[in-house]
Order: sequence, then structure tokens, then C-alpha cells
Amino acid sequence: MKKLFKPMQNKIHLILFIFIFLLIQVYCDLTLPQYTANIVNIGIQNTNFQYILDTGLIMLLMVAISALATVGVSYFSSRVSSGYAKDLRKIIYNKVLKFSNHELNEISRSSLITRTTNDVNQLQGVLGFIFTTLIFAPLLGIGSIIKVFELQTNLSWIILVNFVAVIILLVVIMVRVLPYFKITQEIIDRINKTAREILIGIPVIKAFVRQDFEEDKFQKVNKEFYDVNIYVFKTILIMLPLMTMIMNIMVVLILYFGAYDAINNGILTGDIIAFIQYATQIVTSFLMIGGFFIMLPRFLVSGRRISEVLNTEITITDGEIEEISTNSTIEFRDVSYRYPGSEKETLKNINFSLKPGKTTAIIGGIGSGKSTILNLIPRLQDPTSGEILIDGENIKKFNLKSLREKISFTPQKAILFQGDVRSNMKIGKSDASDEEIKNALDLSQVDFVEDLAEEVTQGGSNFSGGQKQRLSIARGIIGKHDFYLFDDCFSALDMNTERKIKDNLKELKDSSILIVSQRISTIRDADEILVVDNGEIVDRGTHDELVESCEIYKEIANIQIDYMEALL
Amino acid sequence: MSPRPLRRKPPEKPVDNRRAIRNILTLLKDHKWKLILTVVCAVISTAFTIIAPLLIGQATTLIYDGINNLIHNTGSIDFDSLIDLLTIVVALYAVSSLFSYLQSIFLIEVTTKISYDLREKLIEKILHLPMDKVEENKRGDILSRVTNDVDSLQNGITQSFIQLITAVITLIGVFLMMLSINIWMTLATVILIPIAFLLIRFMTKFSQRYFLKQLEFKGSLNGQIEETFTGHDIIRAFNQEDISMEKFESDNENWFSHEWKSQFYSSLNGPLMNFISNFTYVVVAVLGAVFVLQRVIAVGDILAFFQYTQSFTRPIQQITRVMNQIQTAMAASERIFEFLEYEDEENPSSNEISEIKDGITFENVSFSYTPNEKIIKNLSFDVKKGEKIAIVGETGAGKTTIVKLLMRFYDLDSGSIKIDGMDIDEYDKHSLRSLIGMVLQDSWLFSDTISKNIQYGNLDATGEEIKDAASQVYADNFIRQLPEGYESELNEDTDNISHGQKQLLTIARTILSKKEVLILDEATSSVDTRTEKLIQKAMDKLMEGKTSFIIAHRLSTIRNADKIIVIENGKIIEQGTHEELLALKGYYYNTLNAQSRENV
Repeated sequence: MKKLFKPMQNKIHLILFIFIFLLIQVYCDLTLPQYTANIVNIGIQNTNFQYILDTGLIMLLMVAISALATVGVSYFSSRVSSGYAKDLRKIIYNKVLKFSNHELNEISRSSLITRTTNDVNQLQGVLGFIFTTLIFAPLLGIGSIIKVFELQTNLSWIILVNFVAVIILLVVIMVRVLPYFKITQEIIDRINKTAREILIGIPVIKAFVRQDFEEDKFQKVNKEFYDVNIYVFKTILIMLPLMTMIMNIMVVLILYFGAYDAINNGILTGDIIAFIQYATQIVTSFLMIGGFFIMLPRFLVSGRRISEVLNTEITITDGEIEEISTNSTIEFRDVSYRYPGSEKETLKNINFSLKPGKTTAIIGGIGSGKSTILNLIPRLQDPTSGEILIDGENIKKFNLKSLREKISFTPQKAILFQGDVRSNMKIGKSDASDEEIKNALDLSQVDFVEDLAEEVTQGGSNFSGGQKQRLSIARGIIGKHDFYLFDDCFSALDMNTERKIKDNLKELKDSSILIVSQRISTIRDADEILVVDNGEIVDRGTHDELVESCEIYKEIANIQIDYMEALL
Repeated sequence: MSPRPLRRKPPEKPVDNRRAIRNILTLLKDHKWKLILTVVCAVISTAFTIIAPLLIGQATTLIYDGINNLIHNTGSIDFDSLIDLLTIVVALYAVSSLFSYLQSIFLIEVTTKISYDLREKLIEKILHLPMDKVEENKRGDILSRVTNDVDSLQNGITQSFIQLITAVITLIGVFLMMLSINIWMTLATVILIPIAFLLIRFMTKFSQRYFLKQLEFKGSLNGQIEETFTGHDIIRAFNQEDISMEKFESDNENWFSHEWKSQFYSSLNGPLMNFISNFTYVVVAVLGAVFVLQRVIAVGDILAFFQYTQSFTRPIQQITRVMNQIQTAMAASERIFEFLEYEDEENPSSNEISEIKDGITFENVSFSYTPNEKIIKNLSFDVKKGEKIAIVGETGAGKTTIVKLLMRFYDLDSGSIKIDGMDIDEYDKHSLRSLIGMVLQDSWLFSDTISKNIQYGNLDATGEEIKDAASQVYADNFIRQLPEGYESELNEDTDNISHGQKQLLTIARTILSKKEVLILDEATSSVDTRTEKLIQKAMDKLMEGKTSFIIAHRLSTIRNADKIIVIENGKIIEQGTHEELLALKGYYYNTLNAQSRENV
């Protein structure tokens, strides 16, 4: 949790301002009952009009100062909490950018998004609340207690009694209700889940005519939710009437015992009036702090989720060597990879090399570890054992930027970024001219873009899967690299388009190319084909060799020849 | 001296206020009696609370007079009267607390029931809507009606109903009580109210501008975060970290610079109310003292007045807050009712169909999702009982639409689909659908055990039958290997088994349901080759002796089909058996030829 306070450090002076303004406000507010007491005790008792008016003027002055102070508090607490959120977001974002796939898989991507947005907002919301309660309430409480003692009555014990009563009430109710908060949350999740499931399954539900079945299913959760809600509300709702009751009884007690005090110790009516008001303030401030502790769990949940991100250790370290010679070779030597928390090795003793001018292909079923091999090359994640070498040096020794500069990576899932076609292509080559962009688009069979300024919406959702893949391939081949990695990125393309793109890729023939695919047709021309099954390279060779010798390859080939891709 | 309220968002506004109110009222009407009870309790509770300060004031006056008597040695405090007064006060408060609790219980029972019913109705509606209505609405949008909107409606009714009532009663009651004490002090207090209202209104309008502005920046920043984290691999692989950070920082700064202002201006309501209540306090203290001196009021009346002014400003704050909540609730109710008012899927005919005797005929069928965009054009073909029809064509040609039309998920634009010579519109929809089994590529399973998921095909199936169905489609093997076998739970996204395995389960489910007609969508490349082989075998098993429509990708399926129809752009361009189509030397022949050259 410590890291959560870091963005607070450069705002301490602002928080000090908040504190000072709150102090001024509380001070001014708390003088009011005192002045009222004086009006009653001195002004009325002695029939002194002038005194009453004078006191009234001073009170107005206090009210004005207090009002200005509250504006100040608002100003600074807005700045602090917004600024805190801003800085915290920046810290998280910066941290997440350094994550490797390893860390990204540990905390999922979608969860990282919520943590950077919603959870930070939650913290920010609570922060505003902290300034008003955690600083304001104690100030108000302590100030009122001081004032009470200044009044020199024998009534302070009444406040104490009420204090204890309020605490007991709070504790009893919280003990009964708190466990149910979690349950409620769980049921809400279940309601959402069930509703979502139904919505997604509508065609199947209709096809099986299972409407009543689904209604019953939903009704069960719904009823549970109803019951828990009623219970929680009935328990919580008792709080307010009882609290009011306790406060009011306090006033009555003060009046009753105040009367005795007046006879025995000569305290004055104005003092009793003031006392009542201070006592009310004390209890109120206490309730505010209690309210804060109700909010606290929410704060802690968000806080914990964020500090988890900040405390995640980054597994990828940067290397120093910046110079990588052209026409270098990448070699996998006994590389294994195991996902965090997984018992099985995703990759086992992988050995192969990528040589300039050669095309290497990897074929294998889903989950055989093909993509993982690709991810290891630009160090999106590091192997758990074994080495990947560039010209004999471990890639970890190279500067990440220079390493990635050498490599072009086209992932399986085509992802585009908001902007336009041109800005997306420039991700592949920052200084690409329009000429170069058009050329790359042509090579990738992008025939649907008329204008480079054509908009790309978030995630590229305004393009179809096949279109996105082609744009993503264009982005991959626009820059000149020594290694081109294509991760099954032809899967959404029809056979004709794929063949045309593959023909065009021959332009890259001086570099090394690594293609991952499930289709024989995609890889049959490769210089070397690696057949991967269950994380191991089970066979290697050219298409013609493998068709003869490799059982798994033969099986794949047979199925696919029986498969009418073009009619897809 | 009140704490600042948390930042308030401007409410979502309903489009048609009167309709929204009418809708909410219909919801409330069912709970008329409980609501009346609620109001009665609220009135009693508030009334008793209002009387108490007056008595407390009198008690104070008693003490004041007693002290004066003591000073002038003319007597002491009248303890008997004091005790009497205070006892009444305690009794008043006790009754008031009791009724306030009762009131909130009644109300919460009503509103919780209302939201329970609404959720129920919404799900029922979802289940009975025609397909195109379901597809027309975004999924998240529908879901948020079931959850968020129902919630804010419940909150809105709970909060606003009771707060409005108590606020109004309190305002009137307190006003009367204050009047009974002194008219001038009352006027001095009351005059501040409209001013406060106007100021708050003004402030809200003012801060709204900033709020909307910052909302824009927030959206763009969140969008960027989402995009970056999803496309993280690309960012790293292409060395885009610095550029991404730069863009983030400028968006982040932009949001901040608007956001803190928005927060500041909207939080100014707090200081404003604080000022007004403090100001009233001073006015009451001074005016009160003056009137005491003129013997118009007693000392205790000042204390009573303090309490009244406090309970006067609170309702005003409440009302402004409630107004926002009501608007949100009305907007929510509008969205809920808009959805509930959709027409259910029609099913006018009660003509049950339980088997096919002859066959299925498509006659000049045309269909479009949106007007002027025909997906299916003038389609005609027929299928005899027990035949296998292979539908082939490129993605987007309309293959899936054809089979969905047979399921009567949508209504035709023109033409007709007939079973045994009778238009399928003439059959009971449910019985028609019960006749047909559907295995699509995006296999829907729900988060329960595997055995429950298979049982979905036939709710009366025994464990034995379930296992049998699973073995028939080669799923038994992998199910047994799971830690808990058939009782293994699928998780929420049902991603703890592979896509191919899911598909095997949906086939098992269909086999269990023993349908007469089958609609099958063959697997494409998204499943690995070996699982795919299993799926094909399972499908072959499923089709044995059934009338089947297969959206086919495999040559062997197509070759074995009794009839092949080739679809392009919603039209049949060729139909016949494999041999017939080859002899035609058309589209089918050409593609097949190109295909074989590629692979062999």
C-alpha cells in the first residue's frame, strides 16, 4: 500500500492548506454557540441591546470568514484529489507499459484496464471524502470538546454515555450486516452472469424451447437477491431512527441535569444552550468518522488492486549492447517455457535457427505452443530455461529497443489503434512516406482503403476481421527488418488473397521469415517446417519430406486436402 | 456546519417526463396499501419530531426563569413541570423513531419487490423477444437495464419518495411551528430559502458545463488505456512505449485540468449551504435576543428556533438532491419500459408438429435484416425426409440466415417455407423448433456442470443417457480426464475447456434431444486439426438417418450429400448432387479444381 501514497508526496503543501482552511472554518463555526451563550447570558440578562447587536456583527464576520475558508477547502481538495488520481494513473500506466506477457497474463488485461480507470476513480472519490471527514470530523470533535470544557459544566459525562451508546449500536449493526455486503456483491455478480448468459444464448434457448427453464434459473438468483436485500436493509435502516433517538435523548438529559447544575453550580441558561449545540457537534463528528469506516473497505479493495499492479515485479530486464549486425542469425538453444502457475511446460527443449534469406514455418494444433515461440523472439516474454542467441550472444544482453527494431511482428489477433490508416502504418515505420505506405498496403492486398486518412476507430472495430489482418500485415512489412514473424495472421483470409500476399512476401527474401500456421497451404513453400505438438518439435523438414515421413504432418495434410477452403 | 456533499453528477434526463412518471406510478399502484401505510408512518414520525423542539424550548425557558428566580431569590426551577415536559419529549421522540423505522421498512419492502419484479419481467422479455429485436440492441445495453437501471430506479423511488414526503411535511410543519413562535423571525428565515434555491440552481448549471467537458476527456483517456493494454504486444514489439506514454500524458493532463475544476465548482454547493445555515443561525440569535428583551418570545424559543432552522435547511438540501435522483430514476424507468414495451415474439398458431412425413420446401424465399438490403433473394429448393443438404458458399453469402429462417427466428419478406406442404407460419413455433436441432460454431454453454449442460437437450435424461450421448460423440474421453468428470463446472466464460471440446458438448446435447431435423455448421480453421476430426466424426454420428442441413466446408461431407446448393450473394447459383454439379462445369467445378491443384 505504501506506493499508493507516493503521488501524495508532492501535494503535502496543498494538504496543509486544506488543513489550515478547515481549522479556520471549524474555529469560526464553533465560536457561534459561544456567542449565542453570551447574547443570552449577558445581552438578555442585562437588557443590553448594543451588546446583542455588536455580538451579532462579530458572528456575521465569523460566518463570512468560515464561508471563505470552505471555498478554500473545496478548491484545494479538488486539486489534490484530481491531481492524485492523475499522477497515480500515470504511474500505473507507465508501469504496465513495461510489463511482459508474463505479468500481463498474471493480472489479466481487462483487469488492468479497470484498475487504471475505475479503481483510480474510486480512490479519488474516497480521497475527497477523507478530507471532509478524516480531517474535518476530528477537528470539529476536538474543537467542540475544548469548548465544552470551557463551559465548565458537570455535564460532560452525558456526552460520554452517548458516545458509548452510539459505538455499541454501530458495532452491533456492522457485525450483523458486514458479512452480507460480500454476499450481496456475489449475488449481484451472479445476477449479471445469469442475465448475460441468457442473452448470449438466446438462439439456443429458442431452438430448444427452454424459456421456462431459463426463467426459473433466473428467478432463483433473483429471489436470493431479494431476500438478502430485505435482510440487509431492515438491519441497516434501524440505524438512523436509533441514532436520532440517542441524539435527542442526549438533549433531554442535558436539559434535565443542566437544571440541577444551574442550581448547584450556577451555570447559566446560555451555557446550557451552547452545551447542547457542542454536544450535538461531538456526536455528529463521531458519526462522520464512523461513516468513513463504512467506506473504508471499498477504498481498501481498490487500493489493494492498484498496489498489486505497482508491486508487480517486471521480469524483462533491458540489455546494454545496442549494435546488432545485419544479416544476423537467431538461434534457439534448448528453450523451454512454462506459464506461471502451470504444471505443464508449454515449450520443451526447442532448438532451431532463423537464417537470413530463409523461411521457417511452424505448424501444429491449437495450444501446441506455436505462438509462444514467436513471443520469445522480441522478448515479449523470456524463456524459463535455455537460451535464445543472436550471432552467438544471448538476446538478453541486447538493448530491447535495438532488438525489437530488428524484428517485425504480426500477431495472430490483428489489433489496430484509434487514428487513421496512415497513423497505424507509421507504427510499423515512424517516418514512412505516403508512397511507402501505399506500397505496403498493396503488397498486403489492402484494396478497401481509398484514403490514408480513413478513420480507424478504437481497436479497429470499423474493419472486418480479414481487413484488420491485412492492415496488420501491412504494418508488419512496411519497415525494413532482419526478421519477420507472422503468427497465424492469414487465418481470416481466403485462399486467393493469402496466395497473393504470400507471393508478395517474396520481396522480403533477404531477411529471415518465420511463419506460424495451421494450414498446410500457407507453409508448404518454407525452407524448413517445424512440426510442433504439445510444446515439442516432433519433426522437421520440407513439405515433401514431411509428407513422406511425419505421421502428424500427414494427418494434418490429409484432413486439409479434404477441406474446401475456397468455399469457406 | 454540515459536511460537504460528495461530487454530484448531472442527472441523466428522461425524454418524456409525463410518460416516465406514469410508468413509475403504475409500478407503485400494485403496492397501494403499503405505500399509504408508509405515508401515514412518515406523517406521524415527522409530526412528532416537529413538536419536540417547541417543548424543549419551553423546558429551557423553565430553566431560564428558574435561574432568574434563584438570582432574585423568588423561588427555584419548577422541576415537576420540567420533568413532565421532558418525559413528553422523550415519548414523542420514541414514537417518532418507531414510526420512522416502520415507514422505511414498508417502503423498502415495496421497492425491493418492485425491482425484483422488474428484473423478472425484463428477463422474461429477453427470452420472448423476436430475434431481430435482441440483435438490434447492444448486449451491454440490455444487461445494464436489468442491473443498473433497475437499481437506480429502486434507489430513486426509495430515496425520493420518502425524502420528498418528509421534506414537504417537515417544511410545512416547521414553518407553522416557527410562525407560532414569532412571525418576524420566521420571515427572516424563510426569505433565505428561495435565494438558496436560486443559488444552487445557478451553481449546478455552471458546474455542469465543466462536468460535461471533463467527461469528454475522460472518455478519450479511458479509450486510450483500453486500447494500449489490449494492444500491448504491438506497442512493445514496435517500440511504441514512449509515443504511447506521451499521448497518455497529454490526455491525462487534459482530463485533469478540466476535472478538478468540475469537481471544485460542483462542490461549491456545500460551502454555499453552510453559509446560508450559518447566516440564518446568526439572524435567529440576534433577532431572538431582541424579541426576548421586548418580551415577545421566551429564551427557550431561541433554542427551539435553532433546531427548527436546522430542520428547515436540511429538507431544502434534500429536495435538490432528490430532484436529481428522481430524474435519474425517471430516465432509468424510461429505458426499462421502452424495453418492456417491445412486442413479444408472435406465436398465433397452436398447430403442433411432432414429425416430418414428407419434406421441407423453400419457395421463392426472400429476406432482409434491414429494408433494401436483401440477404436472401428468391430462394427455392426442397429437401425430402432423411436427406442431407450441403449448403456451400463464401462467408457472408447468407448460409446461416437460410437455416435461421427455417427456425423461424425471423419472418420472411416474401415467399414461404413449407413442411409437409404446410407453411411453417401455420405451425406452433415452439413445436417447430423442438423438431429441429442446431449445432452452430459459436457453441453456447452455461456455467454449470458438464452433465447439466448435456442434459439441456433433454431435461428428463438420466445420468446414464447423458454419458451415453457423450460417448457417442467422442466427448466421454476428455470429460473423464477432467478432475471432476461429468460434474466439472464450466466457468463463467466457459473457457476452461477448449473450443473444440465445447463443440463436442453441444453435439452431445443435440444427440440427447433426438431431433428429427438437424442444422449443422461445420468447424473451420479455428479448431485444431485433430479435434476437428473428432467433431466431424461426432457430427456424422449425429446425422445418421436424420434430415440435415449442413453448412459445409469439407469435401467429404459435400460429396456425400444428397443435394448441394451453392449460394452466392443470397442466391442459389447451382444445385444438385456432386456429380451433377461437376458435370455442369460451373462455379463448383472451377473452385474445386483450383482447390485440388493448391493442395495436392
